[in-house]
Amino acid sequence: MTQEYIIGIANFIARYLSYMLGAGVHTSRVVRNSKRIGTALGVDVSIHTSQKTATLTVSDHDGQVFSTKVVDIPAFPISFEWNADLSALSWAAHDEKLSLEAIEHKFDEIISKPRMNPIFVLFMASLANASFCRLFGGDIWAMLITFTATMVGFFTRQHLTRRKVNHYIVFIVSAFVASICASTALALGIETAEIALATSVLYLVPGVPLINGLIDITDGHIQIGISRFVNAFMLIICIAIGMSVTLMLVKDSLL
Amino acid sequence: MIAIDIISDGLFAAVAAMGFGAISDPPLRAFPYIAVLAAVGHASRYCLMNFLGVDIVTASLVAAFIIGTGSVFFGRKVFCPMTVLYIPALLPMVPGTYAYKTVFSLIMFFHEISSPTKGNEYLQEMIFNGAVSFSVLFMLAVGATIPVFLLRERANSMTRGSKFI
Repeated sequence: MTQEYIIGIANFIARYLSYMLGAGVHTSRVVRNSKRIGTALGVDVSIHTSQKTATLTVSDHDGQVFSTKVVDIPAFPISFEWNADLSALSWAAHDEKLSLEAIEHKFDEIISKPRMNPIFVLFMASLANASFCRLFGGDIWAMLITFTATMVGFFTRQHLTRRKVNHYIVFIVSAFVASICASTALALGIETAEIALATSVLYLVPGVPLINGLIDITDGHIQIGISRFVNAFMLIICIAIGMSVTLMLVKDSLL
Repeated sequence: MIAIDIISDGLFAAVAAMGFGAISDPPLRAFPYIAVLAAVGHASRYCLMNFLGVDIVTASLVAAFIIGTGSVFFGRKVFCPMTVLYIPALLPMVPGTYAYKTVFSLIMFFHEISSPTKGNEYLQEMIFNGAVSFSVLFMLAVGATIPVFLLRERANSMTRGSKFI
């Protein structure tokens, strides 16, 4: 096994795992999949992960030839499609004994697939929040207001994210925008106005990092698990800050 | 009438799960299963809470366990890892009103900080609501993760032989 071959594999696996970790896949799955690809190509892979970087060593079975890399983890938007398809790629590499070139080719195909249409996502998220409002006991008017408020808030979020604004600021601003839109329900005198106000910001809840953090901790990847948990917790605090600004403005009509 | 309540509860939970799922860009083939899991999970929590008088934390744990177990069996059909199916399905169970009341009571506590009786009441309310929302969130994650430990072999080979890459 030559040094060049090992370096080639290390470069690919580094890219593979940074994409998976960046797109919000829990750590034990990423490690398992990367090792599986390594096994398929006849090498050993050891990985250390943290929130922003990952380190990996690829070596042959005797440990005579090896390559070590430290990779930065890019911040991709969460993608379940990559999660599913990149996991499937590791099984395909394992079961069909694909060559490194074939795996790289399939990898490029998977990551260049277009994401879901942002306008469709906007519509779905608004619809989701409106039905959420119904689950908490809101009436039809509260639902309509939640729908509109979410649409405005989510639109703000999409645009600020595209402009690469700091994500804490994105969360504060979008929580504020959504809740101030929903607070019109108070002015209109709708009975379940408070429920509309409460649900309008819930589209921001960072469910994926929260649950991933917990899965990582229970899997023994405690460091990265706590990092993700803290990260999600910070985002929840940002939502609370954005909403408190609205509450301070309208609290007199809530009592 | 009761049946209609349960069905509509499941239906709205399904819409909510698909919408929140769409934010995280799941594969299109996963949507129907996300909807089914969310509907079953939320409706069972609704039944537990309203007809059996179970508290919200325990009911969430049971519902999350049902969702997690369901995702083991559905995941194999659409070649998706369990998390892809169960995270969106859990989102409609996030305790939104409790979380809102936590923030609201905190703000009101600051507002009434000079009046000891009212300030105390709001602080108490904040701790009450905060405890409920934190426990429900925690139990949702735990409940859905238990099946991963029970069915480890099956849970780790969900995407094997996928036709979609």
